[in-house]
Amino acid sequence: MMKKIFLTFLLLISASFAANAAPIISGISTNEINIDTKFRGAKILLFGAKDDAGEIVITVRGPKRNFMVTKKHKLLGVWYNGERVKFKDTYSLYSLFSTFNAQEPIDDLLKELELGRNNLNFSTSSEIDEVKKNEFQLQLVDRMEKNHLYNTSSNKIDFLNETLFKVMLDFPKNISRGIYTVEIYLINEGSLVSFQSIPIYVNQVGFSAKVLDFAFQQSFLYALLSVAIALIFGWLANYLFARFLGK
Amino acid sequence: MQIYLPIAEIPVNILLILLLGLTTGFLAGMFGIGGGFIATPLLMFIGIPPAIAVSTSTNQIIASSVSGVFAHFRKSSVDIKMGLVLVIGGFIGSTLGVSIFKILQKTGHIDLVVALTYVIFLGTISVTMLIDSIKTLVEKKYGVTWEKNENGNLDKFLAKIDRLPWKSHFPKSDINVSLIVPIVLSIGIGILVALMGVGGGFLMIPAMIYILRMPSSVVVGTSLFQIVFIASNATFLQAVTNNTVDIVLAFLMIISSSIGAQIGTRTGYKVDADSMRSFLSLLLLGVCVKMLFVLFKHPESLYVIEILK
Repeated sequence: MMKKIFLTFLLLISASFAANAAPIISGISTNEINIDTKFRGAKILLFGAKDDAGEIVITVRGPKRNFMVTKKHKLLGVWYNGERVKFKDTYSLYSLFSTFNAQEPIDDLLKELELGRNNLNFSTSSEIDEVKKNEFQLQLVDRMEKNHLYNTSSNKIDFLNETLFKVMLDFPKNISRGIYTVEIYLINEGSLVSFQSIPIYVNQVGFSAKVLDFAFQQSFLYALLSVAIALIFGWLANYLFARFLGK
Repeated sequence: MQIYLPIAEIPVNILLILLLGLTTGFLAGMFGIGGGFIATPLLMFIGIPPAIAVSTSTNQIIASSVSGVFAHFRKSSVDIKMGLVLVIGGFIGSTLGVSIFKILQKTGHIDLVVALTYVIFLGTISVTMLIDSIKTLVEKKYGVTWEKNENGNLDKFLAKIDRLPWKSHFPKSDINVSLIVPIVLSIGIGILVALMGVGGGFLMIPAMIYILRMPSSVVVGTSLFQIVFIASNATFLQAVTNNTVDIVLAFLMIISSSIGAQIGTRTGYKVDADSMRSFLSLLLLGVCVKMLFVLFKHPESLYVIEILK
């Protein structure tokens, strides 16, 4: 299956090269992921060809979410939630692939494009001092890496020959739904030569997704239904038992 | 067999939940209580987030109370007038409780407050019950009688209550009591219903006996009657304001606990009440101790990270 897709891609890519001489061109094996109750993660294959000098950087960015980071404190042996920092509009997934040899170079362009762990922008909902922000931000990134949602340490890009490359994009089981973007950058001497963006749609499907939508979008009806079910089944149990087993 | 809970967002074992519901229902039916204060902590122990455990238990309590109150209607052991007065206070209390719940959830203290409230109430009640039931068991076995407390403070308190205005007659219970008393009582208990995910019967029943001085024949039925309304109000508000009712989890609990309650009620007729009471108090004490461990346990990580909805 994968091999077939791969071959189709190769054909497509070479065809495109003949048609117009874009410096970089790529495609992915699918742009839809469906999360159901049995979802255990997904892998998407990205192929590309580069026809110009420069470094390739590929990112996958998940839909932005607000995150709350809470620090636990102890009082008389009891643990409670202490300071909290709310990070606004933070990527729910971020992974980076590049042809940089070691750490990505310090570069205004990389900072602007948020490429690399140190170039990510974090904004808090209220003004807090830099030291505290850094402490909480570090914890957030660490945890996201632990949960395989962030992968900022410049993974390698596989080159099949001089021009053709492939990368396996990993979507762990704990991803949230929304529109993800795969971005492919070609950077040469501090300037952006080529840029391509491919969306990936992550949908929640099945019963539990419907229930979740129902609970949040029509909470009034959901609430009535919850109460009604309890009233009906409570009465029913009593009725059936009294009828068939006596009081 | 696993099932994914849509609101709690975790998979759980269906059989484990059914067993939990059956046990809760059984105990509830046997002791004439809602069973919330057993179900909520148990749900937390198996990994359901506290906020969802509390709200979903409230949902299940409706079912077990409805089931019970019909049985009491047949025996005509419900003081409907008193029940309705308690419902008024209970509505105010549970609405207040859900708002407090929302504030605590926002500030991140809900888990701590729920656990602390449990430790305090379960601790006090289980120890009192345990001492009481041991006394009774010893009395029965060795024929010793304990010095009865004079209850001087309670008498003084009751005398004060009797002087309150807005007295009303409750024909079914045949008592005269100021309307302020049941309303204030039910407001307080209503708050706990929302905060703890309990029906509040374990507080309401003693209050009815000692403070309102209702005849014990109507106490359980009337308590169940008002719980149906209060728990419905709390469930409704939790689902609307806090989105914390997991209907799939609630459904599993409702089915299993309704069956459990019916078996429990029938078993309850046959078992010696005093030994069952000491068993219940030990069980509650166990839950209380487990809750204490949760409070003191060193967290896996000093930082908690959550995605805001």
